Amino acid sequence: MSASREDNTSPDAQLSSHFFGDLLDSIIVDIASECHRIAKLGLDRNLEDEEEELRRSTQARVRAADPSNSGETNSKYVVDIFGQTHPGVANEIFDCMNCGRSIMAGRFAPHLEKCMGKGRKARLKAARSSTAAQNRYSRGSPASTYSPYSNSTSTNRLSNGSTGVAGEDLSNGTSEEP
Amino acid sequence: MSSPINHRRPPAAAAAAAHRPINGQIPSPPCPHLADFRARNGSKPFRALQACLRVKPPGGRAAIRREPSEVPRCGACGDAARPRLFACMACAAVSCHAPPGPSHAAAHAEAMPPGHEIAVDVDRAELFCCVCRDQVYDRDFDAAVVLAQTAASTLPASASSSGGSRAVVAPENLRKRRRVDYRPWSPDPRERALMGSFSSPLESVPTSDLPRGLRGLNNLGNTCFMNSVLQALLHTPPLRNYFLSDRHNRYFCQKKDGVSGNVSKRNVDGAVDGGHGSKNGSFCLACDMDAMFSAVFSGERMPYSPAKFLYSWWQHAANLASYEQQDAHEFFISMLDGIHEKVDKDRLRPQSQGSGDCCIAHRVFSGILRSDVMCMACGFTSTTYDPCLDISLDLEQSQRGSVKAASAKSHHSCNGEAECMNSSQNSGIPTLMGCLDRFTRPERLGSDQKLFCQQCQVSQESLKQMSIRKLPLVSCFHIKRFEHSSIRKMSRKIDRYLHFPFSLDMAPYLSSSILRRRFGNRIFPFDGDEPDASNEFSSEFELFAVVTHAGKLDAGHYVTYLRLSNQWYKCDDAWITQVNENIVRAAQGYMMFYVQKMLYYRASDKMGAS
Repeated sequence: MSASREDNTSPDAQLSSHFFGDLLDSIIVDIASECHRIAKLGLDRNLEDEEEELRRSTQARVRAADPSNSGETNSKYVVDIFGQTHPGVANEIFDCMNCGRSIMAGRFAPHLEKCMGKGRKARLKAARSSTAAQNRYSRGSPASTYSPYSNSTSTNRLSNGSTGVAGEDLSNGTSEEP
Repeated sequence: MSSPINHRRPPAAAAAAAHRPINGQIPSPPCPHLADFRARNGSKPFRALQACLRVKPPGGRAAIRREPSEVPRCGACGDAARPRLFACMACAAVSCHAPPGPSHAAAHAEAMPPGHEIAVDVDRAELFCCVCRDQVYDRDFDAAVVLAQTAASTLPASASSSGGSRAVVAPENLRKRRRVDYRPWSPDPRERALMGSFSSPLESVPTSDLPRGLRGLNNLGNTCFMNSVLQALLHTPPLRNYFLSDRHNRYFCQKKDGVSGNVSKRNVDGAVDGGHGSKNGSFCLACDMDAMFSAVFSGERMPYSPAKFLYSWWQHAANLASYEQQDAHEFFISMLDGIHEKVDKDRLRPQSQGSGDCCIAHRVFSGILRSDVMCMACGFTSTTYDPCLDISLDLEQSQRGSVKAASAKSHHSCNGEAECMNSSQNSGIPTLMGCLDRFTRPERLGSDQKLFCQQCQVSQESLKQMSIRKLPLVSCFHIKRFEHSSIRKMSRKIDRYLHFPFSLDMAPYLSSSILRRRFGNRIFPFDGDEPDASNEFSSEFELFAVVTHAGKLDAGHYVTYLRLSNQWYKCDDAWITQVNENIVRAAQGYMMFYVQKMLYYRASDKMGAS
């Protein structure tokens, strides 16, 4: 309603003001009617519960950010809940189910990768020999992307290695234990 | 298993829950004048109104007009523009009602003999009691309105086989099975004898006040992505119960596969394994899960090494088999697929995933999503159903300027959402419910994404809306924290905090609720409304596991928080520690696992173990 001051009482200004008022009233009644129905039929969301939850999480975040509380969030562990301690690299020993050798748990994955002929390095190695390449293509199916509801696309991955671009040298697994 | 998890609820919530309609029934009785009107006339006048219901597609708001071009005017003052004009249900006289001014509608009701108290808002198709001066509601009236509205969204009876007004085909596989009461299992004498002779009771452990099943998982080399998901699955109630009640027996499964026992091989945990899968190409992720459940719930507290499982999984997911760290969610999907595939090959089970009849993975996690695409020109709506194992959600943009966000929302919605302001928009913190709101919001597909409309027979701009047709037993929500920009050729992780509740009611996201909102919140059984009252609790979920990711995209760490007997534990590879619930609240959730609060049992087709 940007009518200039002098035109405030002109018939045109009054008429547009009148129509605007009617439209506004109509919209207000629309919303009131909908809210009335929602309230009467008990379809409204319990906003109090939701606000309470938000309040709790805000408080929790404040407490977590407080350095004097960092004991719980810090990854430096002394003992676990059973009173045990664990080394940085898991040291349980067992036999590899592919080749039978004794392997230490914390080094099992890199061992298995080479042992099974998987992984980037092994794949590159295999690509150089033609018979090996044939074997690779005839081997088992790749994992099917599961849901037809296409949200789990491969662009949404939080990997901890690199994003797997060919040719890039992977930083060889930074140890996650503190 | 049918006992609800105890959880404190503020009094206001309990009161609100008491008024919640079951299947859209009005919780409160009609006013005496409406009751009188119904007693006198039944529902005939409402059905007769159908001829005058004009629905303007798309969006489907209904108005009452005797002729399409009629301009209703108040019989008393001739006004056509007062905010509310009411047509008397008894004599069709139109009157205005605009407090604080004089109400000609009320005057009409008073002046006429009894029977003229109920009127209908000609622009909004809402019933009004002129004596109570309040909007009133009636099931049969609403049914008439919905039928008129849905007629616009479907093909005419002659053209489609399903015909008429409600042409929605329910998803196949939702067979109605008789609901039965839960009966706890007790062994019969024969089973007791078997148990006595072939097994021994687990020793009670010194830390017996700690729950069973809490056991660290050794990191085998960048495998925290796997350990975090495994911890969540080991404590997924229906999955845990399935394996612990011997529903997939690894010895029996291996024997069936004809794999010979290889006693000389020492395996993880020193257990004798049938050498299943070594070099003969046959593996079974379910068997490895079975072994893991046995080991983790055995009472042994030294960390378990899921090496056999890793070996089997790498055989299944050849393209993911490498020492580099993987994405936890991708692993989750891949291993459920592995459990499904193996079952599929073995038995002649139905392939359909929606019913969950095919394998335990689907039985637990599979839900059904409904997708509606509505033509913006004619209102015709096409509906499809798809099974889903989980729901991946975009992390909400931070809501700066909640007013702008609210108006953008109502512009998109069909009928004008009255509940567009919710608390998260005001405070700016993204919430899980906010993400679910966005997920189920009507989305206008741009002019570059026109879809073919069966009614118009041309490609039109459309409105798409998702909803949940069937909830899974366990809902897994995956937050898309990975942002990939093809323009800038870089990827980054979104660290923004997301609030997630400990208790979650999924009712607003169900197809029945979404449809109900789309058609103006009318009282009408929509797709998915269950006829039995026990539906009241089946949309309530409790959080039991949170997989979190800390650190950068290429150098980070997964940790899982588990909730057991309302106590939270942190599972960081081999380290299990107890934490305060506030630590979990403040954590950066990546995958959240919720289980249905109340589990209902249906009569089984067959007796005995499957």
